[in-house]
Amino acid sequence: MNVAYYSPLPPERSGIADYSALLLPALQERLDIAVPRRGAQRSPRGTEVALYHIGNNPDAHGWIVEALRRRPGIVVLHDFVLHHLVAGLTLGQGDAEGYLEAMQRDAGVVGRMLAHGVADGLLPPIWEYRAEDFPLTGEVLSRADGVICHSKYVERRAGEYGYAGPISVIPMPAWPSVELGARVAPEGRPVLACVGYLNAAKRIPQLLEAFARLRRRFPEARLVLAGAVAADVELDDGHLGDGVVRLDHLDENDLWQLLADCDVCVSLRGPTMGETSGMAIRALSLGKPLVVSDLGWFSELPDSVALKVPVDERELDELTAVLERLAGDDELRSRMGAAALEYARREHDLDRVADRYVAAIEEMAGGPAVRDAVLSEVARAAGEVGIGRNDAQLAEIAASLREVGLGR
Amino acid sequence: MRIAVCAPQVPFERGGTEILAETLVRELRTRGHEVEEVKIPFKWYPRASALREAVVWRLVDIEEAQERPVDLVIATKYPSYAIRHSNKVVWLVHQFRQAYELDRADFGQFGEDPFDRATVRAIHRVDRQTLREAKRLFAISRNVADRLERSTGLTADVLPPPPQQLDYRSSEAAGEFVLSVGRLDRAKRVDLLLEAAALDGSLNVVVAGEGPDRNRLERLSAERGLDGRVTFAGRVGDDELVDLYARSLAVFYAPFDEDFGFVPYEAFLSERPVVTTHDAGGPLEVVVDPENGIVCEPVPSAVASALSWLAANPEEARARGRAGKRRAEEVTWDSVIDRLVGA
Repeated sequence: MNVAYYSPLPPERSGIADYSALLLPALQERLDIAVPRRGAQRSPRGTEVALYHIGNNPDAHGWIVEALRRRPGIVVLHDFVLHHLVAGLTLGQGDAEGYLEAMQRDAGVVGRMLAHGVADGLLPPIWEYRAEDFPLTGEVLSRADGVICHSKYVERRAGEYGYAGPISVIPMPAWPSVELGARVAPEGRPVLACVGYLNAAKRIPQLLEAFARLRRRFPEARLVLAGAVAADVELDDGHLGDGVVRLDHLDENDLWQLLADCDVCVSLRGPTMGETSGMAIRALSLGKPLVVSDLGWFSELPDSVALKVPVDERELDELTAVLERLAGDDELRSRMGAAALEYARREHDLDRVADRYVAAIEEMAGGPAVRDAVLSEVARAAGEVGIGRNDAQLAEIAASLREVGLGR
Repeated sequence: MRIAVCAPQVPFERGGTEILAETLVRELRTRGHEVEEVKIPFKWYPRASALREAVVWRLVDIEEAQERPVDLVIATKYPSYAIRHSNKVVWLVHQFRQAYELDRADFGQFGEDPFDRATVRAIHRVDRQTLREAKRLFAISRNVADRLERSTGLTADVLPPPPQQLDYRSSEAAGEFVLSVGRLDRAKRVDLLLEAAALDGSLNVVVAGEGPDRNRLERLSAERGLDGRVTFAGRVGDDELVDLYARSLAVFYAPFDEDFGFVPYEAFLSERPVVTTHDAGGPLEVVVDPENGIVCEPVPSAVASALSWLAANPEEARARGRAGKRRAEEVTWDSVIDRLVGA
C-alpha cells in the first residue's frame, strides 16, 4: 500500500521528529511510503492513504494540519489536548475568529466568550493554565478517517469527545540504546534523573521539595535535572537545593549515558495533555525503575515497572515516600529494573509496533469500503426477503455484524 | 448429548475436511449422541465474499432446535466457527489461509490495494472475535495451532484426527508405482512428483484426485514425455483407494505448509512409507525420516532421489511403512471424542 507520511523529522528537534526517525525505516520495510517535505502543498502522487502525525506544537505541526484539511486521513494523535496547536494556527496567525469557533465547538457559548476574553487581551491565555479543559481536538478528529494513539487514556478521551471512527492504541516504539561510554551523572546513592523539557507540568517544584526531604534520610542521594528550563519554573542555584545537579540540553549519547548512570528515572506530569514520555520509554529499555504521576498514559504502566504518585494534595508526601522506598531498597530497584527491561522488550519492540501500524493503516484505509461491500450484500438479501429498515430482525442482523467486527 | 457439527461445504467438492466432519458425526452417533451436521455452502471469492460467509454463519441460530437445547456445537474451519453458541467448541482444521500464511505468497488471493488489505484485516478480526468465544479450542495439528497462536494469540490443544476408516491392507509385493492422493490444486504440488518422474525414467506414478490444477498437470506430464508412466485416476472410490495404497511403492505427499493431511496416516495404515518435504507443514508431525518415510528438499531432484532410493531398497521401504502403521494406530476416535465433548 502507498502511504503519504506527514511528520516532523530530524533535524527538527522534537520528540515526534525522533519518533518518526525511529519508526519510518521499519514502516518502509512493510509499506510503500512517500514523505512530503515540510510545508508541502500537495499530497504525493499515487498514495492511497495519508498518515498525519499531530502533536501540540504549532510550529512543528501546523503545516500537517493544513495538509489534513486538504485530504482527510489517519491521524496519529501524540497529544490529546491540541489547544496550543489550535491557538497557534488561529490567534497566532491573526485569525481570532478561528479561535472563537474552535472554542465554541469545544464549550459552546461559554467557550466563545472565554475566547473573546483571550483574543481581546482581557484574560490570560487559556493554553497556559487550563488547556486540558478545552482540548480543541474537534477539527482534527472530524477529519480523521482513523486515529492511532499511544494510550488507552487518549482512546477514551477521544471517544468521550464524540469521535466514532476507528481508534488503534499502539505503544510508542523503544529506541535502540546507543553505545555507552564515560559516566555523565555524578556519583550518588542513589542517583535520580529527571530528563526533558523542565516545566511546571513536570512537577519540578514538587520533585525538588520531595528530594530535599529524601536527603534528610539519604544524604548521599543526588538528583540530576537535565534539559532546557521553561519560564514557569525557577531553577537557578538558589532554588536547586543540596545534592541537585543541573545539566543543560544533552546530546543523544549523553542523554542515554545519563539514563544509564542513574538508579531511578523520575517522569512526573500534571496536568497531562495525553502525551507519552519518550524519556520514560528510554529509561524502561535501559532497565531503570520509574517514578511517575498517576494519570494519563503514565497510569497505564504496570506497577512492576513504575511507582505512581497521585497529582493532588497527597502528592508531596507520597512522592517522598516512594523515593525513600526506592532509595532504601536495592532489591526493589533491581526487581523493577528487570521488569522494565522485559516490559520494554515486549510492549515497545519496534518490529511489533511497526506490524501494528501496518495493521491499523490497512484496516482504516480500506475498512469502510469492505464493510460497505458486506453490508450492502446483507442489506440487499434482507430487502429481497422483505425485511425492511425498521424491522426488528434488521437490528438482530446488525448485532451479528457487529459481533464479527463488521458493524458500524 | 445433542451436538451440532458445523462445517462449510465447497459445493461439489469432497476432501479432508468433509471426510473429517462426516466421520466425526458418525463416531459421535456410535457413542450414543444425537448429532446433526450443519453445512453451509462456502464461496470465498471474489474479494470480500469470505466475510459475507462469516456473517451467514453468525446469523445461524442453533442454541436450540424444536424447543430442545443444542448442548454443544463443534465448529471445524473458517467460517463455521463464526457461529454463535453458548457452548462452542472449535476443532480447528484451518483458518482462511489466504488471509494468513498464503497471503502475499504464490497461492494467495488478495492484492495490495486498500480494499484487499482491509479484507485480510477484517478476516483476522472475525477470527479474533469468534474464536475466543470457544469454550475449548483444539487444532488438528501443531502447525495449525502455531499459526493460530501467531495470528490471534489464542492457544489451542493439538488433537489430531484419526484417518478415515477403510479396510486398509498391506502387501509384501514390490510396489508398482508412486501414489499421490489429494485434491489437485497448486498448493498440493503434484508437479514436484511429475518433475521427479521426468528425472528418473524408472518411476511410475498414479495421481488420485480431482481439482482445478488437473489440466495443467496433464499438460506438464505430456510436455515431460511421461505418457504411459503417469496415470491420472481422477476421484476414486474407497475400495479403489485402498487397492492403490496397497499396490504402491511409496506415497508422495508434499503440499506447501499443509494443515495436517490424512494421506500420510492412510499410507501408514497400508504400511507404505511417505515422501514429503521440509516445508510441508502438518505432515512433518507424522512423517519422520528415517523412521517411516523420507523428508527432502522441495525440489524435483531431491524427490526423485528419495523415491529412487525407496524403489532400490524395497525391504527398507516396507520396514518404514510398518513403522508408520504403529504410529497411525495410536490416534483413535475414543480419545478424540472424549476431549471434544469434555468427558
